[in-house]
Amino acid sequence: MTHTPILAARDVRKRYGAVVALDGVSLDVERGEVVCLIGPSGSGKSTLLRCLNALETVDSGTVAFEGRDIRAKADDARLVRRRMGMVFQNFELFPHLSVLRNLTIGPTTVLRLDMAEAEQRARALLLRVGLIDKAMVHPSALSGGQQQRVAIARALAMEPALMLFDEPTSALDPETIGEVLAVMKGLADDGMTMVVVTHEMDFARRVADRVVVFDHGRIIEVGPPAQIFEAPHAARTRDFLSHLGWHGESIDIGIKEKT
Amino acid sequence: MSLHWDVVFDNWRIFLDGALLTILLTVTTMALAIPGGLLLAFLRLSPIRAVSLAAAAFVEFFRATPLLLQIYWVYYVLPAAFGIQLDQLTTAIVGLTCNVSAFNSETFRAGILSIREGQWNAGLALGMSRAQVMGRIVLPQAVMRVLPALASTWVSLFKDTSLVAIISVPELSYVSLKLRAETYRILEVLTAVAVIYWLLGYPQAKLVDWIHRRWKVVE
Ligand SMILES: Nc1ncnc2c1ncn2[C@@H]1O[C@H](COP(=O)(O)OP(=O)(O)OP(=O)(O)O)[C@@H](O)[C@H]1O
Ligand SMILES: [Mg+2]
Repeated sequence: MTHTPILAARDVRKRYGAVVALDGVSLDVERGEVVCLIGPSGSGKSTLLRCLNALETVDSGTVAFEGRDIRAKADDARLVRRRMGMVFQNFELFPHLSVLRNLTIGPTTVLRLDMAEAEQRARALLLRVGLIDKAMVHPSALSGGQQQRVAIARALAMEPALMLFDEPTSALDPETIGEVLAVMKGLADDGMTMVVVTHEMDFARRVADRVVVFDHGRIIEVGPPAQIFEAPHAARTRDFLSHLGWHGESIDIGIKEKT
Repeated sequence: MSLHWDVVFDNWRIFLDGALLTILLTVTTMALAIPGGLLLAFLRLSPIRAVSLAAAAFVEFFRATPLLLQIYWVYYVLPAAFGIQLDQLTTAIVGLTCNVSAFNSETFRAGILSIREGQWNAGLALGMSRAQVMGRIVLPQAVMRVLPALASTWVSLFKDTSLVAIISVPELSYVSLKLRAETYRILEVLTAVAVIYWLLGYPQAKLVDWIHRRWKVVE
């Protein structure tokens, strides 16, 4: 039996004018795996995520999801996106819709679920992220952490096979970061396949199966968290981590150790 | 100089019919110019250059030339050049609709462009098509944002309908000017018509002010 990773990027290149955002990136993600992408600002992490679900076209190279080349046609891109959730730094909830409608709009318009079924699904997810009492309010009435939990639930409402997170806690007040990371940790524990761009090194260390270090549009190091955080091979990984103030110790951010 | 207001009261039916036609013109024009403006906005945002250029040419023509001229143009040039003969009322509605559609299209376009790209990405990332994202996510937010501008256009339109008097559409201005010519009661008739316009227009202007306050900041 041949083995195919759920997501496979091969030699992906992308430039914006003179800026080379991705300079030949190859990455496989296995089913159930949690991959954290770290690296300096402007190193191409967000660009890679957008190429993975075809929000951005690649200049060269391929991205295959569940064995399907996503570059081929607009229709294929949509088929891929409905099986791949995405969570954004700025939440990007739909401000004109209630929390409940934010969760039902994808399933009703894309999966053609009827409203009753979509609402049932939405309520179960709101319960799971601890926001069932907010179903009828509009996103503007929620804190940043609550909005991001709704955004995660909105993506989950499509029952995706894989979730992409682009710095989901970077726009949050420190006190609400923990509640979002806790939801993400719960997802990982349930076996969700996740690709997470993050500056939360503690989360990466505790939850990731593999950590990918980016610099200047290239992957400079890949390895299990123990390697990346305790004994990085690349000098630039060490530079980046010490620049962040990481010296091997862990900060308590409100998530429990894997047991 | 003596005033004889009976000329106004004796001819109340004429004023009423004129006012009703003015309202009909306003409502009909806006009812057509909202879809018209949306269509033009979509065409102008089209990635196909020929389409967006054609829409831009239409819009800029109707925005940059006087409405009075446009009404004349529809009335005299369409029949002469294309053999299209429309009655006065239809001509008036066509002319007003072209003009207001052009203004509405710029309003809608500005609203659509004001919605940040992240909203598009969020919709597309759910697997929605571009048309679905436009219809379900971008447009509803855009319309809420431009409601005050649309309301202002409405009030301008209400007053601009008086221009179609030049092609003898018997709306409020036309019937009043005609009555003035027939009775020579210039002061009474013109005062009465001003009062009627004000009575109809003032609540609309107040409504617009309210809409401006109510929808000042969205989000
Ligand atoms: N739409 C765009 N147009 C032009 N340049 C872009 C665009 N998107 C990204 N870039 C450039 O590509 C490079 C990589 O950007 P990217 O956003 O992927 O970095 P990042 O690793 O996500 O950084 P950050 O940690 O700040 O989010 C940067 O130099 C950026 O300026
Ligand atoms: Mg980024």
